[in-house]
Amino acid sequence: MSLCFDLGEEQLMVRDGVRKLLARFAPRRRELRQAMYRREFPTELWAAVADAGFMGAMIPEAYGGTNMGIMSMVFLSEEMAAFGVSHPLFALTSMDALCIVRGASEEMKRAWLPEIAAGRRKLAFAVTEADAGTNTFRISTMAKRDGDSFLLTGEKQWITAADCADYILVVARTTSRHDCDALGLPRAHGLTLFLVDPRAEGVTLTPMATGSIEGARQFTVTFDNARVPAENIIGEVDQGALPLFLALNPERILIAATIVGVTEYCLEIACDYARERKVFRNAPIGSYQAIQHPLAQVKIQQEATRLMTWRAATSFDRGDDLAQTGVWSNMAKYMASDLGVFAVDRTIQTLGGNGFDQEIGVIQLWEGMRLFKTAPISNEMILNFLAEQTLGLPRSY
Amino acid sequence: MKILATVKRVFDTDGKPKLTADAKLDVSSIDCKLNPFDEYGVEEAVRLQEKGIATEVVICCVGPEEAQKEMRTALAMGGDRGLLVKVDNTESLDTLSIAKILAAVVKKEKPDLVILGKLSTDSENNQVGQMLAELTGYPQATFAFKLTPDAAGGWAIVGREVDGGTSDVKVKLPAVITADLRLNEPRYASLPGIMKAKKKPLEITTPEALGVSVKPAIVGIGYELPPARKAGIKVASVAELVDKLKNEAKVIS
Repeated sequence: MSLCFDLGEEQLMVRDGVRKLLARFAPRRRELRQAMYRREFPTELWAAVADAGFMGAMIPEAYGGTNMGIMSMVFLSEEMAAFGVSHPLFALTSMDALCIVRGASEEMKRAWLPEIAAGRRKLAFAVTEADAGTNTFRISTMAKRDGDSFLLTGEKQWITAADCADYILVVARTTSRHDCDALGLPRAHGLTLFLVDPRAEGVTLTPMATGSIEGARQFTVTFDNARVPAENIIGEVDQGALPLFLALNPERILIAATIVGVTEYCLEIACDYARERKVFRNAPIGSYQAIQHPLAQVKIQQEATRLMTWRAATSFDRGDDLAQTGVWSNMAKYMASDLGVFAVDRTIQTLGGNGFDQEIGVIQLWEGMRLFKTAPISNEMILNFLAEQTLGLPRSY
Repeated sequence: MKILATVKRVFDTDGKPKLTADAKLDVSSIDCKLNPFDEYGVEEAVRLQEKGIATEVVICCVGPEEAQKEMRTALAMGGDRGLLVKVDNTESLDTLSIAKILAAVVKKEKPDLVILGKLSTDSENNQVGQMLAELTGYPQATFAFKLTPDAAGGWAIVGREVDGGTSDVKVKLPAVITADLRLNEPRYASLPGIMKAKKKPLEITTPEALGVSVKPAIVGIGYELPPARKAGIKVASVAELVDKLKNEAKVIS
């Protein structure tokens, strides 16, 4: 196991490419940002990112991708967030695509992956339910076979950007927990992954009362005998747990990368302001240690989190085992979630009352950054996992 | 039609060079990148290939071994193959040396069009294209903002940026073109482009192998920083400003 890594020539070219791509949008940065706070989907940015091949970064060449790895998506997530514009569907689509790469039949890969790589299919992700948050095995959305299709019944919550997605990856039970227990099957058995058209009959999206989180809405998604063709199942019936769990580390890595980028954005605003703003005499407030020291601390945490994120991404790309990549990915997400809250907090404090002016656009970051201490996995569950995995301490739950 | 597009590895102009005690430039901490003006030249060549006008695009560089990175960046935009004329001591490369090496490459490759950036952002000499035209005997059209080749007729119409406006010239092929900023908007490398670039052939040769010996006519002897600017003063009125410009600075009469 190598502790260190260098960015290769190609990775540097990818990062340079992302920066040039975003530079094209620079004259409209403010406009794009305001659209994001109105929770409009960034259609043009999506098209440019897809044209540059990023939606195929984690898809093999045989299916229209480049297989360049998650590091490309890390650069994309970080640079977009630093630019001030991002959207959760970039990461969610990549993560769902990975479930297909790892779990789907050859036929399904050929049908879906080239479309995703070309940016023509945006995918959301639905696992959480009112009674099943951290413990995925408790989900009760059921799918029953009916001829060549399945009928889904149940309710998902906290489904991000379900309204913008072409399909939602829905985790449903095809064997109930009760039946698993009765048959003595492991609790991971009976989960099946479906790709569901959110516009299909029997599917209802109800917006939840959340603020703007990365420019997206959250939904309750209700299935009332929603018919899904059997060909939309990723892999085997009842065997969805493994491809599902393989996609969770990438989600954590890309969230960490996004937070590192949001921190860059915050530092840009905070430092620009601190260099100009004068309150007493002729000294800019940035010369006061009460202002500059916390910002320097943000910088330290950002750099450490970036390194941990790159380490996790490198581990994923070189195919380390799931638990090892999980350790780095969870550490990165944990560090990042603290960083995000700290960065926004110190930026608001630097800006004084202006920190609360929605025109300036920092206060809107608060809700999204705070969310990452809670989701997609709570920091307490990360600590449980790390205590068990890295310290050999007994499991408490 | 075959196009030779040249690229140069230059220091990032955002970097800050340091001066050593013996008045040399220390650029060790500065990143290198593809000369921005060359990106316009490569882009134009790639577009002509995409339109089916160019049949082959060769990316050529005179520079150190490390310049393969910048060549791959250009190859990620497009083009078929790379040719690096390796010169490790880039200090020895003045504009005439580079032009002589490129002339030897032209003799070997026989392109119908040679497209260079109008200048490189490190030395800003703006000479290589013109010298290459002289050495090869090809017509030249510098500072191009528009390029319309007529391969079958053996001509190209080139719109040039000149003092006070633009002018169109018709040059006989083969010709040397230097690219200006308004020629196009260079693409950024896509992920598939980067993957393809990895697999494109990149030949490495030397000036000696091309029959050229590099003896620079111009050698950098020493460098110094420009004198620090003195603080300005504020004038109270326009009349005072005019007076000072007239009588102190003596820049108006």
